Amino acid sequence: MDPVFMLDVLARLLPPLGLTMALSLVALVLATPLGLGLGTLRTMLPDRHWGSWLLDAYVFFVRGTPILIQIFAVYFLLPAAGIRLPLFWMGVLALVFNSAGYQIEIGRAAINSVATAQWEAATALGFGRRQTLIDFIVPQAVRRMVGPVMNELSQLIKASSVLSIITLYELHKASEAIISASFRFVEVLIVEGFWYFSFVYALSLGAQLVEGRLSSAGGLAESR
Amino acid sequence: MSFDWKAFFEVMPQLLRAAVVTVEVSVLSLAFACLVAPPLAIARMIGPWPVRVLVGALVEVVRGIPPLVVIAFVYFALPAIGLVFDGFWTGVTALTVVGAVYAVEIVRSSIESLGRGQREAALALGFPLWRTYLELLLPQAMKRILPPLTNELANVIKASALLSVISVHEISQVGHSLIFETFVVVEIIIQMAILYLIIVGCLTVLSRALERRLAH
Repeated sequence: MDPVFMLDVLARLLPPLGLTMALSLVALVLATPLGLGLGTLRTMLPDRHWGSWLLDAYVFFVRGTPILIQIFAVYFLLPAAGIRLPLFWMGVLALVFNSAGYQIEIGRAAINSVATAQWEAATALGFGRRQTLIDFIVPQAVRRMVGPVMNELSQLIKASSVLSIITLYELHKASEAIISASFRFVEVLIVEGFWYFSFVYALSLGAQLVEGRLSSAGGLAESR
Repeated sequence: MSFDWKAFFEVMPQLLRAAVVTVEVSVLSLAFACLVAPPLAIARMIGPWPVRVLVGALVEVVRGIPPLVVIAFVYFALPAIGLVFDGFWTGVTALTVVGAVYAVEIVRSSIESLGRGQREAALALGFPLWRTYLELLLPQAMKRILPPLTNELANVIKASALLSVISVHEISQVGHSLIFETFVVVEIIIQMAILYLIIVGCLTVLSRALERRLAH
């Protein structure tokens, strides 16, 4: 163990850490509205609707295959279809494709977890289906989405490491490069792990804070 | 661009052989992970404090870093401490570590979600602490452990795709090199996806059946 070398690596891994952060945050920002929106839509569609079938197939594919396969699909199939994207956006696209699939389930579960009595009460008061959903159900469901979505962000950070395989120079790829140049894997991997862990851990602390705020911020009672 | 069925069937034998490797790696890792998780979880809850801290730290750290980093670490660390495994067993070791730490958390939270009365009653009847956990609380927690555990085991199967970086000849590695050998892209990626869907699907069906038996 060589502390000086480790400090050096710590600094050298900062720009790739920035790329990892950018990838996962941009992917989250794009995937969350998409996934939660589609998940909400899914609760509104009857099970036999073609839209439900399509969404279920998409979720089934995303949850049943490794993210590596999804990255390959984006990396190889887009150019084959004549679409050229910069590597960064290919990476983001793969992450969004993956994460949106998981977030459909988050959105759907949250909407479904709101008590049926809420629907019944709104209907009894003469509100339409759409207005009930938007004005009463979604605001209650959103609180239940916050935790799982923050957790999804940690998953995205970890998944972004797989983008090293398509030579995106993010934290893991950069660490591999330093290892193969210096042959000092222990030091480099500890520093790399430290960065990932701090990033993920800081986020989960932040998530707990946000969740605590949301649940204590009064207003709607927990309905089960 | 039409679908090339000929190429699809030409690569099939190689990908099927790779699928066998994926299944072998996954099943071994899952078995080892399920074997070590309950004792580790119990050690984390009621062990002497150095053990508690150690297991807790291991679980937190491994859960906070990508599986790819764990694989890299195991890949470099095993030879450094004198254990020279081939790619396959290195992969099994790495996936066992990944699977086990998540399973430890599942087992722990399931046991902790049981009513306190169970534990108090057992201790009041004079059961030793560790027997209370192993023989009374763990079996009761099984019903709650199984659904999230299935999810996690599916993640281990999916993480086995990452072993392609340490050249284990599983589906992703073989598929990737087939793409570069044959330049058949669509057919190979679709076939890889189907194979994974089948493997993960089998696990889900198995665990549903097990869940139903436990429910009775």
